[in-house]
Amino acid sequence: MNLAPSMTPSSVLLTLALSFAGLSALCLAMDRHHRAIFLGSPSRRRARALRVAGWCGIGAAFAAAVITADWNFGPVQWFGSLTGAALLVVGLVSYRPRWVRPAALVALPVAAVAAFLA
Amino acid sequence: MAWLHTWAGLVTGWVMFCVFVTGTATYYRSDISLWMRPEVRAAAVEPGVAAERGAAYLKVHAPKAVAWFVSLPQEERPLLDVYWFDSFDTPIKQATLDAGTGQLSTARATQGGDFLYRFHFELQMMPLVGRWIVGASALILLVALVSGIVTHRRIFSDFFTFRRDKSAQRGWLDAHNVTGVLALPFHLMITYTGIVTLAFTLMPWGIASAYRGDELRLFVESGQSPAWRAAAGRPAEGLPLAPLVARAQGEVSEPLEMVIVNNPGDAAATVVAVFEEPKGLAHRHPQVVFDATSGDVITRLGTLKPAAHVFTSFLGLHEAHFAGPALRVLFFLCGVMGSATIATGLVLWAVARAPKAGAAPGFGLRLVRGLNLGTILGLPIGIAAFFLANRLLPVELDARATWEGGVFFGAWGVAALVSLARPHARTWREMGMAAALLFLAVPVVGALTTDRGLDFLGFDAAMVAIGLLLAWGARKVSRYRGPARARAAVPDALARA
Repeated sequence: MNLAPSMTPSSVLLTLALSFAGLSALCLAMDRHHRAIFLGSPSRRRARALRVAGWCGIGAAFAAAVITADWNFGPVQWFGSLTGAALLVVGLVSYRPRWVRPAALVALPVAAVAAFLA
Repeated sequence: MAWLHTWAGLVTGWVMFCVFVTGTATYYRSDISLWMRPEVRAAAVEPGVAAERGAAYLKVHAPKAVAWFVSLPQEERPLLDVYWFDSFDTPIKQATLDAGTGQLSTARATQGGDFLYRFHFELQMMPLVGRWIVGASALILLVALVSGIVTHRRIFSDFFTFRRDKSAQRGWLDAHNVTGVLALPFHLMITYTGIVTLAFTLMPWGIASAYRGDELRLFVESGQSPAWRAAAGRPAEGLPLAPLVARAQGEVSEPLEMVIVNNPGDAAATVVAVFEEPKGLAHRHPQVVFDATSGDVITRLGTLKPAAHVFTSFLGLHEAHFAGPALRVLFFLCGVMGSATIATGLVLWAVARAPKAGAAPGFGLRLVRGLNLGTILGLPIGIAAFFLANRLLPVELDARATWEGGVFFGAWGVAALVSLARPHARTWREMGMAAALLFLAVPVVGALTTDRGLDFLGFDAAMVAIGLLLAWGARKVSRYRGPARARAAVPDALARA
């Protein structure tokens, strides 16, 4: 991973993909959205696991942004990515709820590829 | 505090919607400018050579000026712009030159993306009046933002919630909440930093009392501009600019942006080489100042005092010049969401106050509905007409750049009158479709009237995307019949808007 400030498209993609995966997990941890997607409430353990995974994803996105885009731009890029990713989650949950889980799972290898390029 | 949010949002909504839309477009100001000057192609000209071409023009046309400014051709603006002051009491004068020849440019006269940029903070009014209106509205918007956060009790539990299949009011409220909450960091940042950029206009008294008529000294003391050297009153031949420029370029690695000659032709003349901002959040320009006759370096500007650094960082964050293409898309998206938050809030005000079936709407509601429609769809219609005018007005027309602005306001004015005359669901649909067709026409007209073919794919794609989005919205509005159980009560979502 390149430690120099870059702010390249791959650095933004990495932050975006991690934010998306994290926010999707947080969304699935919520009873209302879980029921819409899996036709049932999440168990307590499942909800907690999703919440922990979600916050880890958001934290990882912050770390990735700061490492690939420096302290100068990293936080800016992180905020922007969270907004873009959250809009994507809301769009999927409202119009294609069944796609949320596969999309979040696809986001992880995308993040890995982007990390390799960033 | 809900009433505060409602009314603060309503009174500033129309102005701030225009500010957000034009500001969002300004993230692509240079792309818009390139599209609007199809005759101009990038020409590789050495900065020193270009500076001398600009100075040669000014020597003939402005020999008695107190200062010359030569704005060097950049990739996103391949023209040579020269500006000059005949005296400090007269307005600045400007000419656009061809970078390759140094003669007046024959490209069509247009303000390009600068039109939307200036509208963003001056509304194309007298600058001071426009800035006051925008500044005051932004202050009230900040109140609306903070009171909105306080009012919204379910920020986290409704974070991902958009119920589009419940009542019309619920759908608009969710859309307002989602676009508002998801881009909240942007909304707070852009509103606050926007107010900061206008701080000297809104609060001139601090500087006025500290500097007492010598306000320019603030910029000198904060390290933003070099001290002014008074003219000696004796004529002297200045050194050629190209070698000075080359020496300055040896010291600073950023691209050269502008060369300033103060007191040209005088023995005390100075030459200032101004560079683009180094990569960083702050908006600050490194400068090297030379004595124009001896060639000695008088001073170098680069690092700012802390307060000025904070100020320019706020400016930099607002303008996002640092953002590469990917991050720029996110800034643009946030700007679109800000515009959508305001638009949905305005519509929501009207939807929530819809009269019972059969009752006639009052004057206030009719006015708000008309202004909503006239602003939310009128402004896009004006912008699309502005782009079309750029391609369709004859190139040799007198005051052509002014006419482009005239078409912008003319089209918007017609749209606003139509919406005030008959503001109901059908007008939303018809005007939405009209706006969509205008945007879809832009790439077609552009391709038919120029020989640039596929040079503007990004711009064309953006126009098509905006057109399709408007058409989709208009179709949604015309198809929406409300949820089954409420269908009898809500025959048409926007009959109420």
